[in-house]
Amino acid sequence: MKQQLLALVAALGLVVGGATAQAADTVKIGLMAPLTGSWASEGQGMKKIVELLADQQNAKGGVLGKKIVVVTEDDGGDPRTASLAAQRLTTRDVVAVVGTYGSSVTEASQAIYNEAKIPQIANGSTAIRLTEKGFKHFFRTAPRDDEQGRMAAQTIEKLGFKKIAILHDNTSYAKGLADEANTLLKSKGAEVVFFDALTPGERDYTAILTKLKGANPDVVLFTGYYPEAGLLLRQKKDMNWKAPFLGGDATNNVDLVKIAGKEAAEGFYFLSPPQPQDLDTPDAAAFLTDYQKKYNELPPSIWAVLAGDGFRVMVAGIAGAKSTDGDKIAEYLHKDLKDYPGLSGPISFDAKGDREGEVYRVYKVDGEGKFVLQKM
Amino acid sequence: MEEFLQQLTNGLAVGGIYALIALGYTMVYGVLKLINFAHGDLFTYGAYLGLTLLTSLALTDRLGFALGVLVLVLMVMGLVAVLGAILERVAYRPLRESPRLSAVVSALGASIFLQNALMLLYGARFQVYPDHILPTATLNVFGLYLPLMRVLIVLASVAMMIALYLFIQKTRIGAAIRAAAIDQGAARLMGIDVNRVILLVFLMGPALGGVAGLMVGLYYGQINFTMGWVYGMKAFTAAILGGIGNIPGAMVGGLLLGVIEALGAAYISIAWKDAIAFLVLILILIVRPTGLLGERVADKI
Repeated sequence: MKQQLLALVAALGLVVGGATAQAADTVKIGLMAPLTGSWASEGQGMKKIVELLADQQNAKGGVLGKKIVVVTEDDGGDPRTASLAAQRLTTRDVVAVVGTYGSSVTEASQAIYNEAKIPQIANGSTAIRLTEKGFKHFFRTAPRDDEQGRMAAQTIEKLGFKKIAILHDNTSYAKGLADEANTLLKSKGAEVVFFDALTPGERDYTAILTKLKGANPDVVLFTGYYPEAGLLLRQKKDMNWKAPFLGGDATNNVDLVKIAGKEAAEGFYFLSPPQPQDLDTPDAAAFLTDYQKKYNELPPSIWAVLAGDGFRVMVAGIAGAKSTDGDKIAEYLHKDLKDYPGLSGPISFDAKGDREGEVYRVYKVDGEGKFVLQKM
Repeated sequence: MEEFLQQLTNGLAVGGIYALIALGYTMVYGVLKLINFAHGDLFTYGAYLGLTLLTSLALTDRLGFALGVLVLVLMVMGLVAVLGAILERVAYRPLRESPRLSAVVSALGASIFLQNALMLLYGARFQVYPDHILPTATLNVFGLYLPLMRVLIVLASVAMMIALYLFIQKTRIGAAIRAAAIDQGAARLMGIDVNRVILLVFLMGPALGGVAGLMVGLYYGQINFTMGWVYGMKAFTAAILGGIGNIPGAMVGGLLLGVIEALGAAYISIAWKDAIAFLVLILILIVRPTGLLGERVADKI
């Protein structure tokens, strides 16, 4: 009996030893994603994309001559679940973590990874404060909320509009965007002839439109959400007013056209990160083909694709630093990674871990009610 | 001046809708001294029923625009009236002899029930009326842009209000309603069936609210299950502004509230437009506690 037990222990030891030996031949990259909860479709897309890219990278020889293993944890789209998921990942020898989607969820996990010196790269979290905390190991492929304001000002300038009206809806997101654009436009010498807020949830915005029309702007920047944008466009057309409208990314929803009607929606500009099918880099075209071949669908959103970019950046970071040490990877990403060819365009990081360069694109609604990417 | 007139017409169009809904509040209050908090939700049901009937029966395709919309209006009025009568039967009649607070709580409960039932039936997303049904012509009168539909909405609202007023003032049933509003006990002694009067009030008020919902759906296109809350609040305010329990008061209050909002937005600040409207309400109530047209009712001894 005793001998049998010894043999068992020895056998176990062999298995464990074997496993450790095997572990040394792999590089573990964590993925924290909302696989359940209200953002589950995003999370499932993130998982599919990262797994596909990991398989492709392994077929090319992995990284540092080792095979990549993706360790996935569900954050449930919930900050409390996320902090537990982060703690589990830190104890499972992952060298880097990709994710996650919601800003508040990412925020709950940031300090845990930073303390464990594990580089983290978020894909959907746009809140400004995330990169204002001085965490050395935090990066994101998503744009920051204030980048949209910059892009709005830039787009208005490029389209040649001089007199601008800005309308928001007093939500913190819309007001923040409106304030940002207002400051930038004024500093560029554009004339902001109107700045005010409407009350969301109403039906009749003609009083506001009449006042807007009286200010006689070249363009109206509306930073609120699609239900109000749709009504504004519809009632603007009824007033026979032709001035173009430009919306923020909260107007990117197919219901916008349904509410406004195709005729009224035609010519509406809005800013948004590119839709997955509009990604124009060569890598993206190949990636989309592979993704469709494997899963028979399109990625759910650009945010899931940005998780794929996060994964690729981390692999590049490990390869570039020639190490799986968190400090070295982070340093490489901050200093040496320049214009890495991501699926969503070139990727570089500034000292805070924010992505440099533009992610936002300009879309315009055509006569059929389709969202068409504009070459600017 | 041009902008002022434009804003005035904007305000009247919104105010017409407020007034139609306010009539439902004021009629019920007049007879029962009860604020029917579920009235805003009956308005929403009008909008949803209109959408369902319109798309499933293809009325405007079969009957042409004018006749189709007329049939639609009658159907929605009928259905929402039935809904109002059921509401009265289920939520208010059992509490007729209870303290007034119980009935108010029941009204709030009915409102929550109706709203959530609608969400479960239709989903939480915005619903949209088909956009090719209405004529989109815009009249240009002395440089003012008046979409034809807005003019029709205001005219239809005013016509319905006048019809209601005449009905209440000139017919025997109207006299019965007025009698029940003044003193239910005395009305009963005079041989008036007060329960039938109350039922009638709960048929007429919701019918008008339902039509208002249908008009909002047809004209603005976009509806959702919570829209009755904002409109209900505004219409309730309008009813108080004009003097609750008073039918011409509800009309005046509704139109006035719409105009105050539009002019407040135009000349002071858009973001403050609701605050301005409520400030005016407070000022009017300080000067005339019973509202603009409300009569002072002698306190019972």
